[in-house]
Amino acid sequence: MPMTGPVLTRRIPTFPYGDPKKRRTYWYDDYVKSGGYESLRRALEQEPAHIVDMVKDSSLRGRGGAGFPCGLKWTFLPKDYEGQRYLAVNADESEPGTFKDRLILDYDPHMLLEGIAISCYACKLQTAYIYIRGEYHHQAHILEKAIAEAYDKGIFGGKGLLSGASSFKVDCYLHRGAGAYICGEETGLLESLEGKRGWPRIKPPFPAVKGLFGKPTIINNVETLCCVPFIVEHGVSWFKSLGCESTIKGPPSFGTKLMGVSGHVNRPGVYECDLGIPLSKLVEEYCGGMRNGKKFKSAIAGGISMGVLATDQYDAEMDFDIGRKYEVLGLGTACPTIFDEDTDMVMVARNITRFFKNESCGQCTPCREGSGWMYKLMCRIEAGEAKMKDLDLLLELAGSMGAMPGTTICGLADGNNWAVRTIVNKFRGEFEARVKPSFVPVTVGVG
Amino acid sequence: MAWITKNSATMTIERRQQPCLTEEMKADMSKRLLPRYETKMGALLPVLHEVQEHVGYLPHQALEEIAAFLELPPSAVLDTASFYEEFHFSPVGKYVIGVCQSIACEACGHQPIVDHLRSKLGVEPHETTSDGLFTLLCMECLGSCDTAPCALVNEDRHDLINIEQMDQMIDEIRAREGGQG
Ligand SMILES: Cc1cc2nc3c(=O)[nH]c(=O)nc-3n(C[C@H](O)[C@H](O)[C@H](O)COP(=O)(O)O)c2cc1C
Ligand code: SF4
Ligand code: FES
Repeated sequence: MPMTGPVLTRRIPTFPYGDPKKRRTYWYDDYVKSGGYESLRRALEQEPAHIVDMVKDSSLRGRGGAGFPCGLKWTFLPKDYEGQRYLAVNADESEPGTFKDRLILDYDPHMLLEGIAISCYACKLQTAYIYIRGEYHHQAHILEKAIAEAYDKGIFGGKGLLSGASSFKVDCYLHRGAGAYICGEETGLLESLEGKRGWPRIKPPFPAVKGLFGKPTIINNVETLCCVPFIVEHGVSWFKSLGCESTIKGPPSFGTKLMGVSGHVNRPGVYECDLGIPLSKLVEEYCGGMRNGKKFKSAIAGGISMGVLATDQYDAEMDFDIGRKYEVLGLGTACPTIFDEDTDMVMVARNITRFFKNESCGQCTPCREGSGWMYKLMCRIEAGEAKMKDLDLLLELAGSMGAMPGTTICGLADGNNWAVRTIVNKFRGEFEARVKPSFVPVTVGVG
Repeated sequence: MAWITKNSATMTIERRQQPCLTEEMKADMSKRLLPRYETKMGALLPVLHEVQEHVGYLPHQALEEIAAFLELPPSAVLDTASFYEEFHFSPVGKYVIGVCQSIACEACGHQPIVDHLRSKLGVEPHETTSDGLFTLLCMECLGSCDTAPCALVNEDRHDLINIEQMDQMIDEIRAREGGQG
């Protein structure tokens, strides 16, 4: 059964269910009037372990990029540990092309706070930090105000959750980043929360065992946490009726997903769709088709780290199978950037390599050096100064980054690798047309 | 690049009489920010943000005062602060115009706008105009790709920007600020 009405965008008018012009921020009173914090009330009537089981049974997968099963992550917490544990909410949203969490922060901040409250109750996490990217000034102000309201109304704070409906107390704080993409990586985020440079940590130990300040910590994306109240309210089978099963015997892609479409379409924006919607349908039916009547050429699957879809992959289903079925890294944030037939894919590759060169944190040699070299090579290719063999060098460099497990600490290098490799492989002709043939020495015997 | 720091050996440190971090600010932060974190260092990012907001940038004196306040070595404060793009160690313009240069914005034509701003303001990205009014930045994705090309002017996001709109904004600011000075 496909979705019959908005779920995450229930209060955020979104095509085809509502008119985006009518969007406004739901503060506490409006939120409660429209059914808000009912899921929390219901959750508190149940055993925490039961909620973890529900989330596990729902097969909810992380919405922050990696698609890791949320309930499973929660079970990694140490069982009999009564001390301090943390929730780190990932609102860093810095992956180019991605702007879906912003929609929630802009208009329905209490939906996130309710998700936080339920998740903290379920996993016995006493303190939650919302790590928001520094550039989201406006959204930080909204969250500050919403958190203050939530304290005021007894959701968080000294009396216990929901004004003492549970004796379990949760504190929730906003923590602003300061312009570093790498702080979206979960362990870079923890380092940044500790007041250090955002250098990702070598795993294991995993954060669920040893995370923030050395304590067990759960890290989840904003949208992931927002799904939790709905699972509590409507049940596991309802959630599993949304989205789709895997068609390649992989784990399923249940639920709806916020998909932020940008680029050369008529109506760019965030749409809530069932996982599994073909990209072509998303573009043609939700986004009003390609801009200026142009033809589809390519799309970044979901944030630049994922790589690109080829022209004949326009019908790719937007679910967690996409990586294995269409030779991209994965679904990522499910925020595709669409390119029309006039787009220069060499420009796209150059832009992406510049991003990764700027954002590499510099800890691992293949990533720090490789990202810089690839950018320089891309500039040469774009300027028409490169040779054919530079293309192979580019692919070799890309292949040396992240493909070999253990050579780099985090997923940034792998994202760089996939982005470059998929663009060059799927649009090789464009690159070859821009480079000069390599000089082949020919010796001619004289005399 | 996030991992390049300045050569501190060649830097001269300017000091002023009054502290960057006032007693009032310290008292407020001790009450409001420090209890949120298990360690004092945990409060470093919020403290850096607030001091930068107060002073306009982070002079070395401020870093030293923050270090003393949080009981950290000054090197640890510099180590953290220098990692993040948003912290400035020298004054920036009163209006910081950060145009997004990431993929959705480039695909939707950010480059002519940046070129225009460079010639109109007479500065390259990361430079400040001589009157101290404007700093031009090229930033990475601002999380508003549906309204590409876009820019952040101080705290405010400007959507679907074009050359005329940027011109008008700059002219208005110049008229307003020029009138005062
Ligand atoms: C380089 C890099 C950047 C990332 N940036 C983000 C981000 O901005 N927001 C986010 O939610 N996850 C980001 N992630 C994914 C997180 O590491 C992590 O998987 C996620 O926050 C977990 O939450 P989830 O399971 O709810 O998706 C990033 C990962 C990498 C490797
Ligand atoms: S892979 Fe790159 S970004 Fe990730 S830790 Fe290593 S150097 Fe830093
Ligand atoms: S690419 Fe410019 S806002 Fe995302």
